Amino acid sequence: MPRETEISVNERAFIQQALQENLRLDGRAFDAFRPLELTFGDEYGVADVQLGKTRVIARISVDVAVPPPERKFDGIFQIIAEFSPMASPAFEVGRPSDAEMVLSRILEKAIRRSNALDTESLCIIAGLKCFALRADVHIIDHDGGLVDASCIAVMAALQHFRRPDVVVEGEKATILSVREREPIPLSILHQPLCVSFSYFEDGEIFLIDANLSEEQVRNAEIIVTMNKHGEVCQIAKYGGATVDPLALLNCTNVALQKVKEMSKIIQGKLEADAKKRDAGGLMAELSAENER
Amino acid sequence: MGPETILSHLHRADGSATYTYNGYSIIGSVNGPIEVPRRDEHAEEATIEVNVRPAVGVGSPKERHLETLLHNTLRSITLIRSIPRTLVQITLQIRSLPEGEAAVGVNSSLTLLPHLLNTAVLALLSTSVPLATIATSVLVAVSPKAPTPLLSPTATELLRVKPIRSIHVFAFSGERKLLLNESDGAFSVNEWDEACEMAEEVCCKEGGVGLGEGMDVDGQQINMEGWLRDVVRRKVELEQRWRTAD
Amino acid sequence: MPLDTSTYSLALLRLDGRRWNELRRLHAQISVQAAASGSSYLEMGNTKILCTVSGPSEARRGAGGGGAGSSEGNLEVDVSFAGFSGVERRKRRQDKRTTDLSHTLTSSLTPLLHLHLYPHSTITLTLSILSQDGSLLAACINSATLALIDAGVPMTDYLTAVTCASSPSTSDEEAGDPLLDVNSAEEQELPFLTLGTVGREGRVGVCVMESRVRGEGVEGMVAVGIEGCARVREIVDGVVRGYGKRFA
Repeated sequence: MPRETEISVNERAFIQQALQENLRLDGRAFDAFRPLELTFGDEYGVADVQLGKTRVIARISVDVAVPPPERKFDGIFQIIAEFSPMASPAFEVGRPSDAEMVLSRILEKAIRRSNALDTESLCIIAGLKCFALRADVHIIDHDGGLVDASCIAVMAALQHFRRPDVVVEGEKATILSVREREPIPLSILHQPLCVSFSYFEDGEIFLIDANLSEEQVRNAEIIVTMNKHGEVCQIAKYGGATVDPLALLNCTNVALQKVKEMSKIIQGKLEADAKKRDAGGLMAELSAENER
Repeated sequence: MGPETILSHLHRADGSATYTYNGYSIIGSVNGPIEVPRRDEHAEEATIEVNVRPAVGVGSPKERHLETLLHNTLRSITLIRSIPRTLVQITLQIRSLPEGEAAVGVNSSLTLLPHLLNTAVLALLSTSVPLATIATSVLVAVSPKAPTPLLSPTATELLRVKPIRSIHVFAFSGERKLLLNESDGAFSVNEWDEACEMAEEVCCKEGGVGLGEGMDVDGQQINMEGWLRDVVRRKVELEQRWRTAD
Repeated sequence: MPLDTSTYSLALLRLDGRRWNELRRLHAQISVQAAASGSSYLEMGNTKILCTVSGPSEARRGAGGGGAGSSEGNLEVDVSFAGFSGVERRKRRQDKRTTDLSHTLTSSLTPLLHLHLYPHSTITLTLSILSQDGSLLAACINSATLALIDAGVPMTDYLTAVTCASSPSTSDEEAGDPLLDVNSAEEQELPFLTLGTVGREGRVGVCVMESRVRGEGVEGMVAVGIEGCARVREIVDGVVRGYGKRFA
């Protein structure tokens, strides 16, 4: 397999020199995300995220399965993130790279372990049947910031997804199709979002949302996952050069502010999409849900 | 109406295409010619690798089967001997399938195949990998409820004429030669002949008429060759716009 | 099974009788295995780890990343759990947690080692986890540091690590007390982070947190963690010096 093209010495020096002069090659501020574009598919639960040149599609699908015997009252939720040669020819099918492992572990910790999705709401009949939800993350274009983009994509797709309604009579459960009853949204407890900080010059310079060439030049990265309520869901600094502890703490403060901005954008897009779907105001009439 | 296409929209891959038609949406990308792993290297020709990635889940034997079919077809239209000891890596990511696709009750790998093949050809064109000829592909469904075989039917059309007796996938080269045929179900030789003729008519209509002309029959008729030529014409125009600009 | 940790706020003593900033008994030995290039045995409370280093040796051909033909040596980490290490016997050998552990160890130790001195070679770290009782990653890092020193691989400084949890807060306004060096019972109940620092200045090399906590709690946890890392560093340093004296 061809190896990932390494950044040239000149380019490396150029990026570092520019950073010392407080400049990024694409003219962004150090703490600015690239423009985020978020679109939803015709179906429920498909989110297409473009963060600069990085593009990730997340797709949620649902199936009915038997819950694991040790967790009878839970549903199943899986996140699958696999790289394909589409994003970079260096990715080989069936042989996960380190970056792929980090991505899937971070998504797992950020979204699944932090209980962003209430898995108990996926239970149909305790111990017998439950919904098995899976989120497939497809990486279409890779220009750095995969973790941030994938997290946005999965969270947006989860909030966009509607699962079919189900009627339980004793031991018998009937899944109602979309035509029979309006599908219902998932119960999302909070919305974690990832912000990755890349640092340079031994932790003197911190960049948010580095692109691929900046990622290749950096010392190491710190990935902070937070929700807009100010809870830290996950911090990952897997080695690399050392940083000052105060800088580390500062990351969480900056991350909170960024996460709030991002959540607002995602919320706006979700509402716009809901409005588009609900052209005639029909959904409000058909919905059996009460305002709580 | 022909399929909607966007060419060369991915930044990382050497060539790419998004193809949307009848509710199928597929993103294709090609990297190549690139370095080939020693074990796959051919001394006199290029190696072609096809990866089909389903919208949901990881690849299964169904995808492997499609990959084999696509691999053999694409190998025969690529000038593999002019780029020996290299690898052309084709990745086809299925983005969405039409609603009710699973309910049709026919072999879903066949309904998907023509779309995958068309996407792959578009992505190869976008990469400018040397091709001997183009290929176009179409699906034909035969049902006792429909008087004539259905040409590249949508999922709802297939649902309406259920049960479907047989479905056929045909791919033709630019020289009107049959490249690929996969048929599923019960059919007679006459039925197959009829389906093949219809497919040939659509895939390689003489004269390369424009898109508008093909449409007027019953809003169904498409002209794949004309469509592909149109896509290529627009690609070339875009690439040559520096010449024509004032 | 939820464990009752609410007693902490009454007596300010933890389940095992420690106060908030107390480490468990940390016992370490180096050169425990004559056959290996370097080895260490470390106990942090009931977490017990045996770590051996072999190499630098010739790199395997076709090894991922560095390996043959690269100008720097590379570090390979192999983590294995003994079947009897936990309360329940483990069946699967490789799982995500194991790969995650070895990835964290590789990427945190690599920048400390002067690997440019060993081109075309591999240093292999083998960690056998004999008993687990919380703070697994921290114990792995400490024992790996000791084993590398024993093997005489040139490195810039000690990397020492501890875990730090945040006790449940009594009021909504304030975050709870930070607790140093958690055992497995506390690990299951409380949000915690693993912190590893390099050198005397306490610069952060590793920071991994996997549980949800209020943003304000992180600050206290990091502060106590750095303090704890410095104490572990002293103990580790003492072990190395004590061993050196035997040859003096």
